[in-house]
Amino acid sequence: MTKSIRQSTLQTLGLGSVMEIFSNGRLPVDTGDLVDRVFGGADDRGSMVISGPNGIVGAGKLMQLTSRLEPFGVRSVSLSRARTADGIGPQYPGLLDVFGKERADRIMGNIVRLTYDGNNLPADLQKFQPRFLLEAIPEILEIKKAHYKIFREEFPGIEIRSVTSGFPSSELGVGVMHPAFPHETNKVWEIVEDKPSAVTQLLWALGLVPVPVSDDWSFVLDVLFCGVTLAGLRYHRVSNMPFWKIDKYVRKFLGANPFRAHDVIGARGANFLTWSCLHHLGEKYGALFRPTPELDERQETGQNWYPPNHFRPVVNWRMNGQEEDEFLSWIQGALFQMTSLMLHEQRGHLSHINAIGELCAQFRRGILAVIRSVGAEAAIKRVEAYHTLYPEAAGCCWYPAVFEQLGSPEWQQLYVNAEHDGNVGVITISRETYNSDVDAELNRAIDWLKVEGIVNVIVTGDFHLSTQMVGADTSEFFPALDDVEEGRRVAVTWSATARRLNDQFKVSVGFVNSKRCLGASLELLMHCHYLVAVEDAVLGMPEVTLPVVPGMEGCHWPFRKTNRTQWPKLVKLLLGGAPVKAKDAVNWLIDYAGPMEESLNTVWSLATTDGVTDLTMRSLDEGVLEGIPADVGVSVSDNPATEAGRKAIMDSVRASCSVPLSEALDIQAKHSAGFTVSSYCMEGSIGADRARTMLV
Amino acid sequence: MKENIEMFPKARIPYGTWGSSFFPAWQTSALAEVNIGQFAGEAMNRILGIRKVPKSELEYLIIGSTIPWHWKFWNAPLVASCLGHRIPGFHIEQACATGLQAALIAGAEVQSGANDVVGVLTFDRTSDSPVGVFPERRAYQRTMALSDVWDNFGFDPATGQAMITAAGNAARKYCLERKEVEDIAFCRYQQYFETKASGFLDRILVPLEVLNVQGRFLGSIEDDVGVRKLTLDDLHKMREFDTCVTTGTQTHASDGMATLLVTTAEKAKELSPRPEVVIQFVAKAEVRTHPALMPESPTLAVQKLLAKTGFTMADIAVVKSHNPFAINDAIFAKVMEHDWRQVNKTGCSLVWGHPQGPTLTRMLIEGLEEAVDLGGGLVLLFGCAAGDVGIAALFRVTEGGKSK
Repeated sequence: MTKSIRQSTLQTLGLGSVMEIFSNGRLPVDTGDLVDRVFGGADDRGSMVISGPNGIVGAGKLMQLTSRLEPFGVRSVSLSRARTADGIGPQYPGLLDVFGKERADRIMGNIVRLTYDGNNLPADLQKFQPRFLLEAIPEILEIKKAHYKIFREEFPGIEIRSVTSGFPSSELGVGVMHPAFPHETNKVWEIVEDKPSAVTQLLWALGLVPVPVSDDWSFVLDVLFCGVTLAGLRYHRVSNMPFWKIDKYVRKFLGANPFRAHDVIGARGANFLTWSCLHHLGEKYGALFRPTPELDERQETGQNWYPPNHFRPVVNWRMNGQEEDEFLSWIQGALFQMTSLMLHEQRGHLSHINAIGELCAQFRRGILAVIRSVGAEAAIKRVEAYHTLYPEAAGCCWYPAVFEQLGSPEWQQLYVNAEHDGNVGVITISRETYNSDVDAELNRAIDWLKVEGIVNVIVTGDFHLSTQMVGADTSEFFPALDDVEEGRRVAVTWSATARRLNDQFKVSVGFVNSKRCLGASLELLMHCHYLVAVEDAVLGMPEVTLPVVPGMEGCHWPFRKTNRTQWPKLVKLLLGGAPVKAKDAVNWLIDYAGPMEESLNTVWSLATTDGVTDLTMRSLDEGVLEGIPADVGVSVSDNPATEAGRKAIMDSVRASCSVPLSEALDIQAKHSAGFTVSSYCMEGSIGADRARTMLV
Repeated sequence: MKENIEMFPKARIPYGTWGSSFFPAWQTSALAEVNIGQFAGEAMNRILGIRKVPKSELEYLIIGSTIPWHWKFWNAPLVASCLGHRIPGFHIEQACATGLQAALIAGAEVQSGANDVVGVLTFDRTSDSPVGVFPERRAYQRTMALSDVWDNFGFDPATGQAMITAAGNAARKYCLERKEVEDIAFCRYQQYFETKASGFLDRILVPLEVLNVQGRFLGSIEDDVGVRKLTLDDLHKMREFDTCVTTGTQTHASDGMATLLVTTAEKAKELSPRPEVVIQFVAKAEVRTHPALMPESPTLAVQKLLAKTGFTMADIAVVKSHNPFAINDAIFAKVMEHDWRQVNKTGCSLVWGHPQGPTLTRMLIEGLEEAVDLGGGLVLLFGCAAGDVGIAALFRVTEGGKSK
């Protein structure tokens, strides 16, 4: 019997718990089996049809799905009207970049292009045995329904999904797979269906991120994305502030820049979709969602929101503190109210609602994490302030009571979950970058396991929302660029959390289950007694490339866990910044690397036998380390910042290794914080990011 | 006295919805680096934002400028696009009278019923003025290049004389003494600096930050750069270019923009932060004087205006004179027997410069603000324009039903 803090997001896909993955020693489904179920067996393999394949969505998804299904012998059929401009050919350079010529040619060669008149399917389609239709035609309900009808008449039993941005499944009569931009690379799909289907599970098996949402007008992503756009538009109407400047402030406070996003996606299509979503939401829910005249106009004209290059803005706009607060009321107030509606309607797992903002709408932190950080009372006040500014919104769909649940596990553990079976605990992290939210949630998860009496723990990704672990969320370091104490606080706090994995469990096993584990994520997991990785994962400490000095004990902890003969490899990892493959890191950075199932079994064995396996735990040297090598063959960089970073990292390594473990945490935190306030860091990647996003 | 005269009975200027950039002297600020049409459009949007006027209220845009700017062909619609509101409109131009004519034409637009909310936006950049290349088959050069600002200042094709010569001509005609003209100039500088210190200009002039093409800070337009305090001794020591004309007694080229709205009475009440203040158009007059005597033309225009309306100078609460030469004010005082100290009490173009297009718009705004401070009254605005033209207009400011 598995017990968890809250429901695993994997369970929403019908794929069981993460605990079961470890206890069963395998992933919950097999990709080949699912391909057979959706497209028929190898001897009777049918095809995937994408209609509307020349649009931004259709073309992107055609590439994403074909590149994954082609190895299984699934043909892709693109079905378009005769006069549509080619959207598929322009995808080829992107395929070349990612896959190289041979594979790119094979992917393109797997696509059959057919045209039709909009009413009658081409006769040739029959011979490709369509089993699955992904409809990506324009957002006109009647046209979509007629489209499904001709397919069902011709191919009874075909699975149909719509990529619609806003029409509910109940209106369409088919399931929904709503993908997120950029369509070639974004793996998230919002799924609307009665229960998890083989198609949805196949998406997951193919490495994509299906996210179930409820069947309502517009889905979570578009409520957030269109919602923040609309909030910006409303502010524009009262203030005259240009869209480009509103974008800068929205990016400062939330992370998103919705108007730029429309232009990048393609204003003609994106404007229409945003308008369509808001129009239908407005019809159902009222003024909160009603489009402004600016959007009404642009859905017709397809006009960009930003001025053309030859009219890059000349006159700047600035806000004082009071104006910024009012701006926040316009933006956050609207979004908080919209979120209250989504929570009231139970539109999805809270971690999903939160993650969609981050993964698909550029939010620096998910909307629920933002609400949680400001607190229920402040969030409600913010919405009330919005209502003062925009009274029309006060009369519709405002559910402040949903914020009363802020203390619940679902709210408190948006990114980190914990499960246990009475003996072994599993902590899963669903955020690809580590930030203070994750840190706090990780502490709560550890606390919960301790209370539950669990002494052996596995720490890993969530097998769903997080497809990699790429280190610290560098926006967390913005305040530390000019506040050394803040930098020290972050380093000390996060390191203390990491140490709990070493200090407070009998056996802790870190498991890299995804394609990469870098920086702070790797520093975190290396605090576990054992570190296991799938063999094709890459591991690295890229801090020097930013440059920053690792602050989560990466400058001394791995040295204490590794034989001194391997220290040159660690120094090279830190100073070079280049990642290593997991299978090449065994015995000096990690303890085991292998295929997924073997790795799962290894992790489970370690966790269930108190570490009594063939693997010997590398001991942690808590004393003073001497003889750290300096010259490890890293070639001198012509970038002064890189050289400065290397020097600072080596200084940190030497200083934190030359003291006992008990003193090392403070020493390395001091070094990390000290370098963060240097000009190299300010002028480096993090400083540039801060200047771009925060100094508006 | 004709209390009921109204040039455009339906039109109003909504109090407090206006604004102007500072006018930095030419080549001294970031304005030398921008497309002034784009700058003006964006600055008007910013000013309307500060004044809490949604730009969506605008129905029509009348722009005024005198110096060609890049893409001028596209006219007011382009400037409106830079403002962020796609509305129609057109461009008008009458040298230094542009800023007043634009407001008057906007009044006519509202009076006609064509539009209820008309934006007036005037601007010019004298810095780096464009050079036009003109085929001139009758000239021995066959092709002639013309630097738009300086070559025009230096040569009136109708008379063959320079502006500065016209000033000297007028000074001689009216037997002006250099000392009197310098006294006027000195007073004008004092008036400007006293007004600036009082904070009065903060209600009119809006600091604006200019960005470069990378979106980074290029410069702030936050002062009438180039204006320095002068003493009488400074003025006395200056070289005389023509009779009574020195650097200190004439204006200088500058860059800038100014904007105001003209609306129906109902809209004015809706948009103004002080709806009780009513601003009406009363009357206008124009004259063209004899060749190369431009500085006397504003006085003649005022005479004509007063004669037409029946008002006397005693009826006027605020007098604003566009005075590229202090000689203008000396002639006005002499002819009208009006104390020049009672003119331009909040500053004038002699001091803060001469960007042409927006000059009279800024002066109008200053005059209206001054009248509001007085609790209402008639505002007389006049000035000269290229071609020996003089223009004068009267506006009535009524505050809360109180009229003077």
